Amino acid sequence: MTTTLADHLRSLPDEALGALLQLRPDLVMPVPADISALAVRAQSRVSVARALDALDQFTLQILDGVRLTRDPGDGTTSVEAVVAAAQGVDATATRAALDRLRARFLVYGPDSALHVVASVDEVCSPYPAGLGRPAAELESRTAALCADPARLRRTLLSAPPAARAVLDRLAEGPPVGTVSAAARTGTDGGESPVRWLVENGLLVPISDGEAALGGPADAVELPREVGLLLRRDCGPLGRLEPTAPAVAAVRRDPKSVDSAGAGQAMEAIRHTEALVEAVAAEPVPMLRSGGLGVRDLRRLSRITGLDERTAALLVEVAYAAGLLGETEVPGAGSRAGVDQQVMPTGGYDLWRMLPLAQRWEQLAASWLAMTRQPGLIGQRDERDRPISVLSAEAERAGAPSARRETLGVLAEQEPGAAPDVDDALRLLAWRAPRRGKGREPAQREALSEAALLGLIGLGALTAYGRLLVAEATAARELADDDPLGLRPGGEQSPNEPSAAVQALDALLPAPVDHVLVQADLTVVVPGPPEPELGAELELVAEPESAGGASVYRVTATSVRRALDAGYAADDLHTLFRRRSRTDVPQALTYLIDDVARKHGGLRAGSAGAYLRSDDEPLLAELLADRRLGLLSLRRLAPTVLATPYQLGRMLDALREAGYAPVPEDATGAAMLTRGRTRRAPARVSAAARMAATLTTPRLTGPRLLGVVEQIRRGDAAARAARRAPVTVRAANGHTATGLTAAQAHTQALAVLQQAVRDRALVWVGYVDAHGAIASRLVRPVSIGGGYLRAEDERTEMLHTFALHRVTAAVLDE
Amino acid sequence: MSGGPLIVQSDKTLLLEIDHPDAQACRMAIAPFAELERSPEHVHTYRLTPLGLWNARAAGHDAEGVVDALLKYSRYPVPHALLVDVAETMDRYGRLQLVNHPTHGLVLHAFDRVVLVEVTKSKKLAGMFGARVDDDTIVVHPSERGRLKQGLLKLGWPAEDLAGYVDGEAHPIELAEAGKDGRPAWTLRSYQREAVEQFWAGGSGVVVLPCGAGKTMVGAAAMAEAKATTLILVTNTVAGRQWKRELIARTSLTEEEVGEYSGERKEIRPVTIATYQVLTSRRGGAFTHLDLFGARDWGLVIYDEVHLLPAPIFRFTADLQARRRLGLTATLVREDGREGDVFSLIGPKRYDAPWKDIEAQGWIAPADCTEVRVTLTDAERMAYATAEPEERYRVAATARTKLPVVKSIVAKHRDDQVLVIGGYIDQLHELGEYLDAPIVQGSTTNKERERLFDAFRSGEISTLVISKVGNFSIDLPEAAVAIQVSGTFGSRQEEAQRLGRVLRPKADGRQAHFYTVVSRDTIDTEYAAHRQRFLAEQGYAYTIVDADDVLA
Repeated sequence: MTTTLADHLRSLPDEALGALLQLRPDLVMPVPADISALAVRAQSRVSVARALDALDQFTLQILDGVRLTRDPGDGTTSVEAVVAAAQGVDATATRAALDRLRARFLVYGPDSALHVVASVDEVCSPYPAGLGRPAAELESRTAALCADPARLRRTLLSAPPAARAVLDRLAEGPPVGTVSAAARTGTDGGESPVRWLVENGLLVPISDGEAALGGPADAVELPREVGLLLRRDCGPLGRLEPTAPAVAAVRRDPKSVDSAGAGQAMEAIRHTEALVEAVAAEPVPMLRSGGLGVRDLRRLSRITGLDERTAALLVEVAYAAGLLGETEVPGAGSRAGVDQQVMPTGGYDLWRMLPLAQRWEQLAASWLAMTRQPGLIGQRDERDRPISVLSAEAERAGAPSARRETLGVLAEQEPGAAPDVDDALRLLAWRAPRRGKGREPAQREALSEAALLGLIGLGALTAYGRLLVAEATAARELADDDPLGLRPGGEQSPNEPSAAVQALDALLPAPVDHVLVQADLTVVVPGPPEPELGAELELVAEPESAGGASVYRVTATSVRRALDAGYAADDLHTLFRRRSRTDVPQALTYLIDDVARKHGGLRAGSAGAYLRSDDEPLLAELLADRRLGLLSLRRLAPTVLATPYQLGRMLDALREAGYAPVPEDATGAAMLTRGRTRRAPARVSAAARMAATLTTPRLTGPRLLGVVEQIRRGDAAARAARRAPVTVRAANGHTATGLTAAQAHTQALAVLQQAVRDRALVWVGYVDAHGAIASRLVRPVSIGGGYLRAEDERTEMLHTFALHRVTAAVLDE
Repeated sequence: MSGGPLIVQSDKTLLLEIDHPDAQACRMAIAPFAELERSPEHVHTYRLTPLGLWNARAAGHDAEGVVDALLKYSRYPVPHALLVDVAETMDRYGRLQLVNHPTHGLVLHAFDRVVLVEVTKSKKLAGMFGARVDDDTIVVHPSERGRLKQGLLKLGWPAEDLAGYVDGEAHPIELAEAGKDGRPAWTLRSYQREAVEQFWAGGSGVVVLPCGAGKTMVGAAAMAEAKATTLILVTNTVAGRQWKRELIARTSLTEEEVGEYSGERKEIRPVTIATYQVLTSRRGGAFTHLDLFGARDWGLVIYDEVHLLPAPIFRFTADLQARRRLGLTATLVREDGREGDVFSLIGPKRYDAPWKDIEAQGWIAPADCTEVRVTLTDAERMAYATAEPEERYRVAATARTKLPVVKSIVAKHRDDQVLVIGGYIDQLHELGEYLDAPIVQGSTTNKERERLFDAFRSGEISTLVISKVGNFSIDLPEAAVAIQVSGTFGSRQEEAQRLGRVLRPKADGRQAHFYTVVSRDTIDTEYAAHRQRFLAEQGYAYTIVDADDVLA
């Protein structure tokens, strides 16, 4: 068959071959050597699966129709047969679907003899169109039943309702059901519907060998003939949906949509900035296993007031946009197990200088392109470990295409139309059922994340969001088509903002350079402040409320901060006069003056030592003395001088110059200096030591008894050690008695059990945990749970021996 | 960009630029659901709170309308998340309803089964529910009606109370608008009428009106509407007597129908005025005057100065949920932050009018606020510097340097009735001697107080020195000048109440003056700044002058 496809391909004109390669670009990676190689590749499982992934539900159903109508003999079918199978569908739709399949060479050959590429059967379900295998392949009894249509129909009609329900369910496909599940539909006590069906030959139990096809061991299969009979109303292929499902949408005013989206876009920017600032204030350590700790995320969300899901998303986006990056922890090892930490990057500073719309574009475009699925964060992975932010577990290569497709559905709607989410997902599932499998959560997340980032407003795609999605898609296609970017129009000067940015820019408030100052000391900036104004206000006032506008409050503390930063009271007055569009209230003027008056009233500094005297002329003399120039004396007050040098140095210099200073301590008391004689630490005299050894403690009564007791115990121990019987010692080494190890063990157990009853002393030989051999004289207390508990009279301790380690036991004579 | 007057902030504050041509229309649109937080001269701040949104929902506004109003007037794009949040919050109100079931009595009915399951599982509400009537309805013990509402509010599922009210013992009360005993005819002011109508339509709730705007008359009109026996709770005896005087003058009630229940007298009559103090007094750990609430079948309970309602009264109120309740106050700001309890136990805010509006309509006198800063003498500064921390405010506030300043202000307003208000008795005595004016303080007998107030009202005395007792509910309409020399640290509502003393409209529409004398560079200035914040937020800008300018 390979040759047939190869021959077929060989006979094609160049354009047709080119069209195939365009539809299935993976065939030329790398470029095949010849047509045969191309044909082989086109029939390979991987390539066929990829081609099928891109097909919509209807085309796949028609492919099932082709497989179903194949002649069992030569494996071919005809267009007519397929059109007939696709009952209830316009023939042109079926033909169009067939053309799509033929263009991809999943089906090939002339109209009258269509071949299906071999590996299609391998990558598709073994039950085409959800129908079982023909009865002939399953069981002879059933085959006989199916061969007689009238009897089959009669049997079917006589099925009890419960059995009929089972049949209907299997007829919808898949045609295989596990028995337990099918049996459960039967009523208790009554006959199991499945059993009835099997007995009447309508269902066939499939054995272990057949389970390889995908059916579990105790499963039943609905034969194809029965399935077709049950589907006689809707056609052999089941219910067909030749056109994409319609999407219901709520119409909204596009202006409101854009406005809500733009508002959210500003929020996203503000929150991202707040998050990155929070990270900057305290860099977040990376876990060794990758990602950020749950506690760190919680902290970030608490600081920024976001919920954890939003915080996780924005951290991911900021990381993808290059605003956050990881770096080595300086002086690693400061916190155990951490050597990488997340910090804002230099790119963050550049980003902050950009206009709002461009900042947003950077975030939104990064979100569209990032191969991460933030919705997974907080869930558990297959090993039941939580998935953390920035960890490898949240990496999903399919995430960008899931986002593009989902937003694509929204982009197809008219401006302002907010489609029903479930409808949109159903449409996505119809378009690429094979690829979309399991993607539904990602698609839902894409929608909620787009709403958080402001691409979507009131459920509809915003005008600028539409442009951004279009740009992203175009950029992808451009890169595919024109890898060197040679095509004119494709290039765009990097300085010129994109269309999306321009559209968003028109929606965002223009930066303002003035404020409204009010008597309650609030300063309102009626819009986003210009960077310069923002910086000024950040310094002289406390932020109180942020959003489209910002509200600051001037407090004594904030004014002091400004004064500390080098503003003079006049500068502040000028600042407010210049920036305020209204009269500066008197309260503010007074506040600034009040704080400024007190500011600097106290001066603080550090000095090495001071010099004070009530004699002012004396201090003046010192100050003028050139010999003391090295001390850099400074006059703090008429009676106080200060020097940056330490007290000792000043004293020496002063004394050298002939003055007589007296040092004083912290409380002001004069410190007297008298020569101190140096001494080594004290030692005990030899005589005293001698005396100490000579005095022996007197032997008092109790003490004496203690000594005796000690001696006796030592003696007993020594004797006991000497007396370990030969059998025990031998058992520890090699068997001397001629018993096998097992026999010796059994004997030992018997001895021990008797000893427990008699409370007799026993010599126990055993192997300890380290493999060392030992023997001990003990009095067994109990045996149980594989352990022997026994008292050692020498040490007065209770020992526990594992019975399997006991090698021998001999009663003490 | 619409260029509207409103800026919606992400922390749910709304900034309204009042010089904008659409500002008035915008205010009308957002007033039902947003609470006015500050109204300084240029930009008013409203806040979207769950309570405010639920209030709006209770008044029949829906989320769609709120979102539309925000979008319509907003100058900048409104964050999508905020709109979603508004809709979700409003949706929480009314999922649960307290209704009277024909056979099971008081029941909690849910329109959302999940919510009912959630609240019945809550530990905080354990024991308040009885048997389940059906999947969506559960019996509530009638005694727990108030506590349940409090608890549900805390859980974020405020219940709509449709269980109705008992009528109470009927008692004829009419407004005597035609004039009584030879007094001239009068009519209820438009906003008072509106306030009463909205309160009555809502069943129970709070009416917010500034001092001097005639809250007593709102109470009287509500009584005339209820035509039932009424319990009025007031802050102190003097305020109670004033209520009594007003009620006798402005309604069909006679002296015999109005009782006073205070430390001095224990009268229970169809209309009874009781003080918070007597109700919360305890003997041996038990509240001895609790029986008053059950003494009659009250049809209406009026709480004067709700923002001062002591905690025990909240507890009693929880048991009064079947009676109509009217709260009256100048401000819903409670220094203890129990606004939620006021909402759930007394009721939602039913009427609110900003001070400046009522002033603009001419119902309260415009006021001019001045802060006079005196510079302490060196000796006083030294005394202040060495004072113990807990004594510092007293030392700063009672500096003798203030005396000549006060005197010169009094001299400046020779033709006006002047109140001098202070917090420290010693200082008041000094002032009394210095100004040669009588003093009203805590220890002054009620009889003497009445005499002095009457003399002040009639103009016999032109200057009166009063202590903290004058903070509340004293009607001295002719007082045109108030001089505050010391206060209770930084209490914001005290400042508002004191300003209220001079805001009653004057016979000749004179300007009212409010002076506060503070010591420069001391803690006194800081406290003064804190107190004034509230008034500055209400749009009363202070002028600061130096004591030397006053003395000169």
